[in-house]
Amino acid sequence: MRKYAVIYRSVLMENLQYAANIALGFVSYFIFIFVFINLWGYMYAEPGTRIGGYTKEQMIWYAMITEMIWFGARSGTVAGQASSDIRGGNIAYLMNKPYHYTLYILTRYTGEWSIRLPMYMVLAVAVGITMVGQLPGFGLPALFASAVSILLGITINGVFKLCISLMSFWIEDSTPFQWLYDKLILILGTVFPIEIFPKALQPLIRLTPIYTVCYGPAKLVVDFHGDQYLEILMAQLLYLAVGCGLMFFVYGKGVKKLYVNGG
Amino acid sequence: MHVIEVEGLSKTFRVKRKEKGMKGSIQAIFKPRTEEIRAVKEVSFTVDEGEMLAFIGPNGAGKSTTIKMLTGILYPDGGNVKVLGIDPTKKRKQLACQIGTVFGQKEQLWTHLTPYDNFRFFGAIYDIPDGEIDRRIKELSEAFELSGFINTPVRNLSLGQRIRCEIAASLIHRPKVLFLDEPTIGLDPVVKENIRSLIRQMNREFHTTIFLTSHDIGDIEKLCRRVIIVNSGQIVLDDSMEHLKFSDASLENIIMKIYQEKGEEARVL
Repeated sequence: MRKYAVIYRSVLMENLQYAANIALGFVSYFIFIFVFINLWGYMYAEPGTRIGGYTKEQMIWYAMITEMIWFGARSGTVAGQASSDIRGGNIAYLMNKPYHYTLYILTRYTGEWSIRLPMYMVLAVAVGITMVGQLPGFGLPALFASAVSILLGITINGVFKLCISLMSFWIEDSTPFQWLYDKLILILGTVFPIEIFPKALQPLIRLTPIYTVCYGPAKLVVDFHGDQYLEILMAQLLYLAVGCGLMFFVYGKGVKKLYVNGG
Repeated sequence: MHVIEVEGLSKTFRVKRKEKGMKGSIQAIFKPRTEEIRAVKEVSFTVDEGEMLAFIGPNGAGKSTTIKMLTGILYPDGGNVKVLGIDPTKKRKQLACQIGTVFGQKEQLWTHLTPYDNFRFFGAIYDIPDGEIDRRIKELSEAFELSGFINTPVRNLSLGQRIRCEIAASLIHRPKVLFLDEPTIGLDPVVKENIRSLIRQMNREFHTTIFLTSHDIGDIEKLCRRVIIVNSGQIVLDDSMEHLKFSDASLENIIMKIYQEKGEEARVL
């Protein structure tokens, strides 16, 4: 474990130099949230309205939390870098060290979001409290449960994005698949809660990573219930186990097909 | 004692082929064509402990592919490899702790960190205790004369300084075998000479086995006592440097002649 802790520390040291660059992304986040606040303000024009069981405050906080996860977990390492390592052959030089390549990439990803996510968290809380107001019923249990759930969700996201990148062992370019995954999460996961979608679609969406990456953690923030927490936690642990199994399997198969040309 | 044992090592790649022009590009979508390239053909040799071996050949001869199979990066299609008694395909991580690699055209250092932080990083991933890492950094810093830039981010170093740091980083865990793939590429003559004397020093002091590939005749002549020449994936010559130099012609001319003559034979075989 010590070597992964050192990789993590080195990524932190490297990325701390870019804290100002990360802060530039706040502009996009703020624009997104500003649009949502106005959109939901219009939709909830009648006092006391609930849409899909959510109050206006819950709906806006839901979007703020999912967007915070989305922006906080953005990483070029699990997507672009892993894919180009494989296509360009650079993976050969990273494999040749006494660590597991996939865990090396995931540790780098963790180091990256460890800086990004707290920054977006501070922004989300500041914007939320000043522009929307406090969430009724949000206490310590919800804080603890949602923190654990957010960390698990971000890790699951990294594992699945890395699995997509590992497809580069077989295909020329995994970017279109990354694009599809990102759009699936962004459109179906971050903008609206699952309850907004047609009833027939909801069970299907619950089976996708959306449930464990975005919906689950944000739902716990806006509407915490102990039994639901257990359900989300179990789903996340199951997803993580399956994702990691898939990641090690795909990597094990792919690495035998590695073709490194030149030099 | 043999530290590297290679017997009948082979590797074949399947490479995409495309007809020229737009028509070829469209055809390649519906009817992709591939061609088999035999990069390494039943290569066998051994390397003794403490030996400095030049493994050379023209571009595309199979040198780097062989190194990558010896270090466990590529899986061979046939034959057996043992490095320090370990099969690289089965125990790559165990082998990685005992060998060092420097690929002159690739960076292993983290460019935003200083050489000092990089050395600490590499020391830790090889499970070296903190106190010992500091002692080794001091030792390497003195041997490689790194003190002037050990706290400068790698991205701000000159190529020569970076290569010195790359080699130092690959030695932090005191490898028994060091694979150097064109370590002096792109360096000026003075820096090249510095790097060579460091490699000699390393071999003398730590008895490190050196497996070197280079197109630089100076590297081969000044460092190695044995030369293996490969061409078209086959060994075409395995001889001592002393024997090769026992001639009026320059080493460069001798090697060029062998590349051309033996290369044709290897292609026919």
